[in-house]
Amino acid sequence: MRVVVCLKQVIDPLTPASTLALDKNEKKIRVGIAAPPVINGFDEQGLEAALRLREANKEIEIVCLAVGERFNNDVMKRSLALGADQLVLVQDPSLDTWDPYPIAAALAAAIRNIGGADLILCGRQGSDWDNALTPFILADLLALPLLSLAKRVSIADGKRVEIERVLTDGSMTMAADLPALVTVTSELGALRMPSVSARLQAARKQPRNIAWTELGAAAATLLAPEVIDLAIPVNGRNCTFIEAADGPSAGAQLAETLLQAGAIRLGGEC
Amino acid sequence: MAGILIVAEVDAGELRPEFWELATVAKALSAAVPGGIRVAVIGANLAAAVRQAAACGADMLHVIEDDRLAVPWPEAHAAALIQLCGELAPQLVIAPRTILGAEMAARLAVRCRWQLVQDVTQIEVTADGGLTATRPVSGGAVAATVRAGPGPWVVVPRPRAFAPAAASASVTSASPVRHTFVPPPLATACGERQRVAVEGISIDRAKTVIAGGGGLGGPEPFTLLREIADLVGGAVGASRVAVDSGWVQSALQVGLTGTTIAPDLYLAVGISGAIQHLVGCSSSQVIVAVNSDADAPIFGIANYGVVGDWKEVMPAFRDKLAGHRV
Repeated sequence: MRVVVCLKQVIDPLTPASTLALDKNEKKIRVGIAAPPVINGFDEQGLEAALRLREANKEIEIVCLAVGERFNNDVMKRSLALGADQLVLVQDPSLDTWDPYPIAAALAAAIRNIGGADLILCGRQGSDWDNALTPFILADLLALPLLSLAKRVSIADGKRVEIERVLTDGSMTMAADLPALVTVTSELGALRMPSVSARLQAARKQPRNIAWTELGAAAATLLAPEVIDLAIPVNGRNCTFIEAADGPSAGAQLAETLLQAGAIRLGGEC
Repeated sequence: MAGILIVAEVDAGELRPEFWELATVAKALSAAVPGGIRVAVIGANLAAAVRQAAACGADMLHVIEDDRLAVPWPEAHAAALIQLCGELAPQLVIAPRTILGAEMAARLAVRCRWQLVQDVTQIEVTADGGLTATRPVSGGAVAATVRAGPGPWVVVPRPRAFAPAAASASVTSASPVRHTFVPPPLATACGERQRVAVEGISIDRAKTVIAGGGGLGGPEPFTLLREIADLVGGAVGASRVAVDSGWVQSALQVGLTGTTIAPDLYLAVGISGAIQHLVGCSSSQVIVAVNSDADAPIFGIANYGVVGDWKEVMPAFRDKLAGHRV
């Protein structure tokens, strides 16, 4: 059984906003200093879900797949150190786009190219655009059932995927026949750390590159909105720091300040 | 293709409050998108919600009521919406950015290949028949202006970005049009739903929210936050770190993948302020941060700050408020 985990390389969401630079011509966000990119956190949790599935069934083959403009190999190869059997990369300048349709088309073509998948795992959304759209397009292109927001994923009899889906006020169980696509949410838990020896072994492994032209995939569509401007929002707030001799006095002074400013009304209604 | 269709989400028989923000967007765009405003009410046990939605002043209500829609089953709810869109052919669909609403919007847009404009904070229809919108990117660090072509469009407004419309005295006079749910074969199946009762007041509508994050180090300190919340009649919230660590239930999460809130007072304790958290609380009237790291990004959006150890600051804060109360 083959599980494909889709990975997106993104700007580290912990990069301070002050170091982001906007390329106004290209309509792209760049990192001003040399901060390495990361794998989208929700996608990492997809890999964690795949690793847990393989703990239950050793026959599972895990293929990590990423499409994008250009990859940082060290960042992407972390998936190999964690036990992915294969890392497949599709790199092409035309894949540096905000349009999820060509991205999903490239993912679908690459999955067909490697012989298909029984289960596809994606993060619930990218931490950059937060559209949560690529998995839906991918499932549509491959005509697969899609289950979203899984915090637990299991496979029954090798034929059916079952998930626990997160809701705002609880959860629900859902299921679909394989092949299927599942999106994973952060409540599933963080990706495990690779061991030092696994990292050293992975350093010698190489990703498999598939050329975009080899996949014969389509160009950009007119289906996604076009980005016409980017700006850093200005925040008009100025922080007044409470200065006090020690923590307890600062706490008391803060309470006093908020009461006087009318920000706290004791016994007020909610 | 004409007119606007608002997706009204119903939870446990009640219209979800985001509906009134969508009504504001619909009214603002109704002159530029002629054809009237219609409301799609999809679910089961809809009598009360249909009555509530009628007060938005829409021209017509369209109802799909079916037992299969009693649970938030995304594929089934999306099928109902896709069916209605096939029958009504709207130019613009407006859906709420909730767990269910956002997925219905995505499934509709992908299936029909309509343009999806998500997380919108400002929107206008331009003279050339296109649509221009502003939305946050990279968790709110950047604001993008995006442009969609001639439509049809599926628009998902950012929660709290638009003021809720007031219920109108002149309720929709025409009786709701009922549509029989005729879905295509559904490829997913739905099992049991478990609701977790939210402790205390929900962060969603509270006027004061006291939230804790990774700096608290565990679940126990949330008891102290709860005491403070009780003193001021507020709610307890949390950052994603605290939720993912299992310290508190996910209903408490403030941020991009949690709830976007806009209380009168937001007090962040031990929350450094990752950008995805800031976007969930930055519309609060007054923001107060307590953090041991003077460089924490949360201070960048705070009105008041204390650089210090919450273990020293917060008990004294609670005691001072308790002392005032008696």
